[in-house]
Amino acid sequence: MRLLLVEDDPRTADYIVRGLTEAGHVCDLLRDGHDGLFAATRDAYDVIVADRMVPGLDGLSMIKAVRAAGIRTPAIFLTSIGGVDDRVEGLEAGGDDYLVKPFAFSELLARIHALGRRPAAQEQKTALRVADLEMDLIQRRVTRQGQPIDLQPREFSLLEVLMRGEGRVITRTMLLERVWDFHFDPKTSVVETHISRLRAKVDRPFDVPLIHTVRNTGYSLHVPA
Amino acid sequence: MSGTRLSLARSTPFRLALTFAFLFVLAFILSGAIVYQLMSDDLSRRLDESIKETYSVVAVTYAESDREDLISTVNDHAQLNADKEQLFSLTDQNGNRLAGNFTASDLPDGFSMFAVRLPGVPPDTMYRAYTGEVGDKNLTVAFSMSDTEELENIVLMSFGWGTLFITGLAVAGGALLASRVQRRLDGIASTMVDVSHGRLDARIPLIGNGDDIDAVSGQVNAALERLSALVDGMREVSANIAHDLKTPLNRLQMILESAADKTVSGEDVSGELTDARAESQQINSTFDALLRIAQIEAGARRARFVDLDVGPVVETIGEVYADVAEDDGKSLSTKVVPDTKWYIHGDRDLLMQMLANLVENALRHCPPGTAIELSVTSGGSHVLIHVSDNGPGIPAEERENVFRRLYRLDTSRTTPGSGLGLSLVKAVADLHGAAIVLEDRNPGLGVTVSFPALKPA
Repeated sequence: MRLLLVEDDPRTADYIVRGLTEAGHVCDLLRDGHDGLFAATRDAYDVIVADRMVPGLDGLSMIKAVRAAGIRTPAIFLTSIGGVDDRVEGLEAGGDDYLVKPFAFSELLARIHALGRRPAAQEQKTALRVADLEMDLIQRRVTRQGQPIDLQPREFSLLEVLMRGEGRVITRTMLLERVWDFHFDPKTSVVETHISRLRAKVDRPFDVPLIHTVRNTGYSLHVPA
Repeated sequence: MSGTRLSLARSTPFRLALTFAFLFVLAFILSGAIVYQLMSDDLSRRLDESIKETYSVVAVTYAESDREDLISTVNDHAQLNADKEQLFSLTDQNGNRLAGNFTASDLPDGFSMFAVRLPGVPPDTMYRAYTGEVGDKNLTVAFSMSDTEELENIVLMSFGWGTLFITGLAVAGGALLASRVQRRLDGIASTMVDVSHGRLDARIPLIGNGDDIDAVSGQVNAALERLSALVDGMREVSANIAHDLKTPLNRLQMILESAADKTVSGEDVSGELTDARAESQQINSTFDALLRIAQIEAGARRARFVDLDVGPVVETIGEVYADVAEDDGKSLSTKVVPDTKWYIHGDRDLLMQMLANLVENALRHCPPGTAIELSVTSGGSHVLIHVSDNGPGIPAEERENVFRRLYRLDTSRTTPGSGLGLSLVKAVADLHGAAIVLEDRNPGLGVTVSFPALKPA
């Protein structure tokens, strides 16, 4: 993917660029909001990663301007403000996701992947399928090897998020946000508990496990390599 | 700073008193002037009437008889007035006196005023005269104005003394009142000086009569109370940060040093790196929680409040944590009456976090086997959310403390947690105007958060 990073702190920028390059992406780094706006409107990027506090034009205004120019490139805000209103402000300005510093690189990467592969116009899928696991989104039914699996509504959402991100890492925080609408970090094993319940229903009765733990980061649903 | 005691002349109350005294005296003088003018006009009119009357009495004798009678009447009148209080003059057309006790010369017909030097009369005595023609002669009747003037002088004098007395009274009274107010203002000023010098326990003395200064002083005292509570809180937080953040920072440093040592000897350090990461995450989450609480307390979030039903929020939390509790050997049950709505004005995200923190707090501090219960009830104008357990509870004397930042019961210092969970609960409740009540359930702890209801349920 071709990524645009607008970040003025050299060490953070270096860390991100190195990580993204290692992950096989091309990353353009700019240190100023005005330059970022110019680049974002001139070149086609897959994802924009913007720090909220950069010189020139701040990240929030930059993304607003990009959106005003009719460019729909997905954007992630990086913020060290960590404020309770940051998420809402970021999303209102036209951002698609936000991440509070300090963050784990794996978290950023997972979010970039989730945004970058999101189809441009969210096509209306009626069914999801990974190997022998099938999910009917209309009837809200799940079957594996043709056997129906009985899931609680929240377990269904959890599995849906994992299946939509097939093969990608979905972090613990992403699951909390997308499945439970938790925008804070619970101190108990909420995610672990529910994943283990889901595994008991989806994986345990069958030979091949599909839900995999990615150490220190999150989970991924795919056919084992 | 203590030299800022204002001089009396520059004090607002004294200036006010002076202004009012000035206005009062001005009004007094003005009304006095009007009274004086009216009185003086009235006296002149009465004088004119008596002159005219006397003139008529004299003049009528001529009309009834003749010249000789007139002369003798004038002379009679003149002789009756040896003190020259009243003057009479009868002159022929050439101005020669025919009768009377003075010679009127060049006086116009009708009323006029003149001063005349006469033996036995104080100089400059003013006379009021009426002149008219009686046949071919001029008759003038003049009355001295000294009585009128004397009366006017008496009024003027008493008026002047009155003004002086009132001015003195107003200034003295004003100064007295002003100095009393000033003393209280000085009290406020010196309290503020004390506060600015760091004596946050200084309070403005109240008189207790409930006047405006007392009311303002009371408000200032309340603000000082809050300020000193905040500063105490800050001090405590600083001390706790020093302890609770320095401990993991120390550990982090030790881990890194050990990793550095191991690297030198070529050993594997992945264990140390994992530990270091966990420590730094812990430090970060503590900072995050502190920041979040500060931002919630700042209140900007209130602008995003919407009308919402707390029922689904409580149900969601109950649903999320029921399995977590079960895995932990505890139980969590949720009691929300179906098809009932509990509307409040609030922020869903913050309410979720508040409830999550309360439930997690119960999960963390209760032994296995504990039953935790989550419910919503309606209490008149309030929506009550209850989180109760049958665990060890919190000692009564500690109940206020648990909401303080970074505060942890000694018994829980060793269990994980930042000591910020309940502070955040309190911050969210305060933002919503909700009260939190902790009660002993013998055994266990009952937490009730009561939100102002939007509509009576």
